[in-house]
Amino acid sequence: MHEFAMAQGIFNTVLETAQANDAIEVTEMVIEIGKLAMLNPEQLKFMLGVMCEGEELTKNAEMIIKTVDVEIKCHNCGFEGIGNVDDSDHYAPMILCPECESHRVQVINGKDITVRSISIEKEDDEN
Amino acid sequence: MHKIADVEIAKNIMDANDRLAHKNLHLLEDHDIFCIDFVGAIGSGKTALIEDLIDNLDEKVGVLAGDIISDFDADRIKSHNAPVVGLNTGTECHLDAHLVGHGLGDLPLDDIDYLFIENVGNLICPVDFQLGSHMRIVVVSVTEGDDTVEKHPYIFKDSDLIIINKIDLADAVGASTDKMVADAKKLNPDVKVITTSLKEGKGLDEVIEAIKDAKAHEAEHHHHHDHDHEHSHDHDHHH
Repeated sequence: MHEFAMAQGIFNTVLETAQANDAIEVTEMVIEIGKLAMLNPEQLKFMLGVMCEGEELTKNAEMIIKTVDVEIKCHNCGFEGIGNVDDSDHYAPMILCPECESHRVQVINGKDITVRSISIEKEDDEN
Repeated sequence: MHKIADVEIAKNIMDANDRLAHKNLHLLEDHDIFCIDFVGAIGSGKTALIEDLIDNLDEKVGVLAGDIISDFDADRIKSHNAPVVGLNTGTECHLDAHLVGHGLGDLPLDDIDYLFIENVGNLICPVDFQLGSHMRIVVVSVTEGDDTVEKHPYIFKDSDLIIINKIDLADAVGASTDKMVADAKKLNPDVKVITTSLKEGKGLDEVIEAIKDAKAHEAEHHHHHDHDHEHSHDHDHHH
């Protein structure tokens, strides 16, 4: 159940950022999940939703979850770019070089879970 | 009137864990300790391997034993006269760097050459949580089924040594050790795959040699660059 730990990390980041920016409401949060991050987006969304509902600031926030492609560097042929994610015969996806189909690839990007941004409402300064 | 504002955050949720893992690694290196993270399913033989290594490595070993709520593994290891601290994760399925950091505070760091961290029995969740180790060893037994390696590509791809254990039982459970070795080599062509029967003492010498090699290699390199435990970097050194 490490989706819970991840959801907690995301939720704390959103809440702290909202408070630091004097938000009265968070309307949207954008979260990026690498295709290689070891977690289930549906579970994450569910848990994060429960956490958000429990807090006045975040209870109406919309969650936007984007998946991030896997960027690789191939140690076999030197290719750098988006790797092929082959999840046809595996329970978890395998990464192959799209040029030479080698498994000897280094993952440059696509493992992370990132809180990209939030949209907030705040009091107008004039008031 | 309310106004709407967008706030850029760009915060990686794993950063906090990675930072703590670095801190652990630096603390260990200050004490010249070589640290190994042992991962593998429940019943694969992680504790048995750790017990055998303590008895046969002829260097001083300290252990952090991760368990969900019990001290069974810690108690087994204690009987081998190695300092051991049990880490209970509660309901979590993996150890993280924060918990390991706490455990380090309870070990006699000046008095050990190796730190073995026994992760929670799980082939999925521990993958992304770096702990501050120099090496990750994955233990899989043939009794888990000979499709176990190909079903869990990440952990095998992200380990520095792959051990296939209980090979004496392969025929009894109808598992092909050769298939498991081939799958492991396909997933991670640059690391050693060792087949063992710890019960019969088979393969242990090879494991000890691989660990000593990795430790010697690390000692050579650790003054030259800041080790960030990105395994794919490690593989560059292993050739």
